[in-house]
This record gives sequence, C-alpha cells and structure tokens, in this order.
Amino acid sequence: MNGLTLYFRLIRLAVQARMQYRADFLTGIIGVIVMNTVTVSLISIMVSRFRNLNGWTMWEMVFLYCLWLLGHSLYSFFFWHISALEDYLVEGTFDQFLMRPVSPFVMFLGREVHYMGVADLTFAALGLSLAYRNLHLQWNGIHWLFFGLAVIAGTLIETTLVLMFACISFWTGRSRRASRLLIRLNMMVQYYPVDIFGYVFRIIVTGFIPVAFMNYYPALMLLGKLDPQSPGGWLGYISPLVALTLVIFSAVVWRLALRRYSSSGG
Amino acid sequence: MKIFWSFARSTFQFIAAYRFDFFMEFVLAVVRMYGIYWVWRILYTQRPGAFGVSLEQMTTYGVMGMALEMFIWSRPQWYMATQIKSGAIDTDLMKPLDFHLYMLARSIGEMFIGVGVLGLPALIIAYIFLGVQFPPDLAAGLMFVVSLVLGFLLLFHLNFLLGSLAVVAMDIRHISWAYFSVVRFLGGQIVPLWLFPPFVAAVAEVLPFKGTYFIPISIYIGRLTGMEAIQGLGFQIVWLVVLVLLSRVLWSAAHRRLVIQGG
Repeated sequence: MNGLTLYFRLIRLAVQARMQYRADFLTGIIGVIVMNTVTVSLISIMVSRFRNLNGWTMWEMVFLYCLWLLGHSLYSFFFWHISALEDYLVEGTFDQFLMRPVSPFVMFLGREVHYMGVADLTFAALGLSLAYRNLHLQWNGIHWLFFGLAVIAGTLIETTLVLMFACISFWTGRSRRASRLLIRLNMMVQYYPVDIFGYVFRIIVTGFIPVAFMNYYPALMLLGKLDPQSPGGWLGYISPLVALTLVIFSAVVWRLALRRYSSSGG
Repeated sequence: MKIFWSFARSTFQFIAAYRFDFFMEFVLAVVRMYGIYWVWRILYTQRPGAFGVSLEQMTTYGVMGMALEMFIWSRPQWYMATQIKSGAIDTDLMKPLDFHLYMLARSIGEMFIGVGVLGLPALIIAYIFLGVQFPPDLAAGLMFVVSLVLGFLLLFHLNFLLGSLAVVAMDIRHISWAYFSVVRFLGGQIVPLWLFPPFVAAVAEVLPFKGTYFIPISIYIGRLTGMEAIQGLGFQIVWLVVLVLLSRVLWSAAHRRLVIQGG
C-alpha cells in the first residue's frame, strides 16, 4: 500500500472517530461561523463607512479575507494537529508513528481531522461567491486555474510554515510560543491588505514568513489590481512557486528533525 | 503585611518562570496596536473628522481598545472549566470561602500581574510611538478610571457566567469562541458603536457588552462627556448589579447540580 492510499484510509477512520461526538461537532460549527461572521462584519462596517481602505473596497476586503479562509479551511480540516506536535513529543506518543513500517509523516498527518474546517470552507465559498457577484468579476479560464492553484498554495504555505515552527520542538522541547507569533502575523494579514502597513512589516510577511502569499498577492492578480508599471508586479503570480519552495524546505527540516529525535520515553 | 509579601514573591516567581511567554505576549500586543493604528489613519485620509471624531481621537480609541484588553480581561472561566472537568472543583468548594468571591480575588490578582508586566509597558509604547492622547481634562480622567474598574467587573461576571456553563456543557471551548467574538464586536473593542449600522447599534446599545470597552474608551477620548458620561457609568452599574445577582443565582443552581453529580 502506498503512502497516499494509507493516508486516505487513516483520514476516513479519523472522520468516523470524530463523528461520534455530535454535540461537540455542532457547537464547533456554530462557534466557527459566529467567529467568521463577526470578523467579516467588522471589516465591512469599517470599510463601508469610509468607502475604501487604501483603495480596497468593502467587497474586495471580503474577497481578501475569504480567499485566505478558503486556503485555511483545508489546512484546518486536515493539518490542524501539526501545531500540537509538541504534545506528541512531550507525551511520548510520537514513538507510535516511528514503530510502523511506513512513513512516520503519513502516520502523523492521518492521525486526526478537524471538522471546524467544514464551517470555514462553507463560509469562505459563500463569501467569495457574494464578492464575485458584487464586484462584477468576469474571470476567464486562466483566472480560474490560478484561483485553484492559489487556494492550494495558501493551504500549503500555512501547513508548511506551521510544520517548520512546530519542528522547533524537536530541538527545544517546546514550540507553541513561537507558533503563536506565526498565528498572530497570519491574523494581521488575513484581515487587512498588506499595503497599508510599513515597509518592515511588508518585508517580513513577504520574504521571511511569507503569509502574504496566502491571500494578498494572489488577490491582486485575481481582482485585477496589479499595476503593470510597478516593479513588484510579478509577486502577484508566484504564490504556487512560494508554496513549492516551502514544501521542499519543510521536507528538509522534517528530515533533520527526525534525525535529531530522541524519545521522551512515554 | 506578611501575606502581602508572600503574595508578591510568588507573583515575581510566576513572572520569572514565564518570562518568555510574557515577552512574546508583549511583542504581539505592540503588533496589534500598530496594526489598528494604521488602519484608522488610512481610513481617515478619506474623511477627516468623520462622525465628529478627530483622527487623534480615533487612533487613540483603536490603540486603547487593544491595550485595555490587558487591563480588563480575566479568565475565571478557564479555571472553572478545568476544575469541573477534572473534578478538582470539590477542593475549591471545601475551602471556607465563597466560591464567587474566591474567583474574583484570583482574577484581580491575575489582572495586577497582567497590567504590571504587559499593560503598562504597552501603554507607554502607545504614548511615545503611537500618538495616544491623554484624556481632555481631569474629570474625564477620573471618570475613565471608575469606568474601567466597572468594565473589569462587568467582564469578570460575564466570564464567570460562561464558566458556570461548564457544569452543564462540560466543554466550553467552542462556546467561548463565539462568546469572545461577540464581546469584541458588541463591546466595541475594535470598531466603536457610533459606526455600527442603526439596527446593530440599537442591539449593542442595550446589551451589557458595551460597558466593557466602549464606555470607558469613549469617556477617555472625550466622546462621552458631562451628563452622557455619568449616564454611561450608570449603565455599567445597573448591568453590574444584574450580572452579580445572575451569577449568584446561576452558580448556586450549578453548585447544587454539581453536588448531586459528585466530583
């Protein structure tokens, strides 16, 4: 059996395990929907009262947030538990993954699913289609293809960044604090277009912790906001490349981390 | 006095043990204040003096909304939820203390740590780098302090009520996501109530949440003055009385249920 089939079999088991807790499922979905509704309402109230935020209208802001959310929803459904890697290491449960004759990475990824992602996905799809209609967008095939790639890139960027931050715990035993910094930076980018912040912040979220490629840069391309004269215009197209680079990077980090691993003897 | 020193020492040890966490929290608080500061600055370039509030007042409102979180945010609900889930709550109930007051005392202690280590330093940064203004006059300053204390108490009781739910619901994590968002929104932490659409504003005006952030900060920036400010304080006091009574009733009901369950 190859890795992918095994992965999907594990995911099916995880879904079945989750579905045992109906009340938990329902409150989780409601919680996520309320959270997203509040976020979008705050953005909409702010921007609609002032026409636009640095040239971004209300529906463009909704598009920006929901594009982020769509990529995030896939991450949060399949990969949320990566950020809990620290607990697996400290409790010694990580040893289970190493004792099977298959890739420990597949075992780890297939361990859990998180249904909150379903609520995120629904909300994002609804928000994006409303924004698409209200902005009178007319996408051609290339736009749709790029949109699909950008969403997958968003998922991969978030997943690999979280994975690399979580891998810190192979060296230090703890990683949650560092991960919190990542989550917060990510939150700033998801609500507001990056161009309203100063240079230092923009360089950080573009070059060092490239969360701006999850929604800001692809949104520039998809909303037709790219300025052909500006020297940084190409940044709008390269999200998939950024994601690919990060995947390679994180694979290297994961290999180094595994070599570094010594069990806590749980 | 001896009790005070032992308390102070244990507080210091607590901070020393978690110094990296506190430092990280501090950095993140500064990032949040910086973010909201720029959002309002840029929005205001289109409509200077929008809704009778100057740019300086608006950025002060935004930055204070982020900074005051460290002044009024208390966490009795997490303590209650973990204790109830593990059953360790029975040791709390055996203590010769009223549980509600015990939670309040704990929260006040945590608040002082938070203010000393995070709140005040963040506020200093805000005054120096983010152009946060002082209140227009002494009266406003004094009323702000009173209003802030009331805001802390209001939020404590709302959180306490959420914690009481743990007796019935067992897991309050998901409910609290929705709850936090609602407090942030209807409390006016990020967007003040005068910008809300009429229907939402009407709802937010009568609910207790606006007593947490909106009233103290509006007094601080001089948007609520004179009679209106006193009315704001009155609003906070009335809701506080209601919430205290509600907390007593709900907790004693929860307590009875808890005893039957057996910890």
